[in-house]
Amino acid sequence: MKRTLAYLSLFFILGVLLYIANPNYGLVFGPGGKEWLSLRYTDNYYITHGLKEVGGMNIVTDIVFDYRGYDTIGEATVLFTAIAGAIALLRPWRGDES
Amino acid sequence: MTCRPRCGSDMGLIVKTSARAIIPLIGIFGAYIVMHGHLTPGGGFQGGATIAGAGILFLVSFGLDEMKKHYNKSLYSALEGIGGLVFLGAAMLGMGVAFFYNILWHNGPFFNGKPGTLLSAGFLPIMNLAVGLKVFTGLISALTAIALYRRWKS
Repeated sequence: MKRTLAYLSLFFILGVLLYIANPNYGLVFGPGGKEWLSLRYTDNYYITHGLKEVGGMNIVTDIVFDYRGYDTIGEATVLFTAIAGAIALLRPWRGDES
Repeated sequence: MTCRPRCGSDMGLIVKTSARAIIPLIGIFGAYIVMHGHLTPGGGFQGGATIAGAGILFLVSFGLDEMKKHYNKSLYSALEGIGGLVFLGAAMLGMGVAFFYNILWHNGPFFNGKPGTLLSAGFLPIMNLAVGLKVFTGLISALTAIALYRRWKS
């Protein structure tokens, strides 16, 4: 009984998700078509100008290392902080029994 | 410390042999991802994490004692520092215009080939190599520290 209910609820959730994900009558994430260009002009700017301004074929690398370089510096700092935190928390303490 | 017959932290013969065969392939794949970061999907972070995965496979399969022989703390620390400094230095190359200005691509002496070739895209290959080195050594150091200083009783 419980198992049947679980499978039925799974099928129900799957159906709801399929209905939501349908582009014709489901949820619409933002406008599409021509209106998309007027509202999300930043995406279009990266796609059209990225190769000329930065030179990389990989637009994601262009954005990560050039347009959003400060973010990458922050990520490198986060990595360093993670190592420092791991060593600071896990190193042997003075009061530990050997 | 009481030891069962196999109390070392290494795994069995099958795992070791498979790891010995697979680790170079993972390293080569990670190096490819880092080098072609400005051309194909991936980049410094992803390729560095892939190479670090090879090192962590070594740590898991061969054990901590074998890892201690091959892991040099000062070397890895220095390499991580060099990676960060090269990244910042490449970012400061175009300081005359702006921080993170890609001056090597616009009017630099090298790394300004045709888009799509390996020696193009200005400082992107340099930054990819630097960040890949930094992520690789950093993740190896973090995982080795966690394995070395574990606080739970086995």
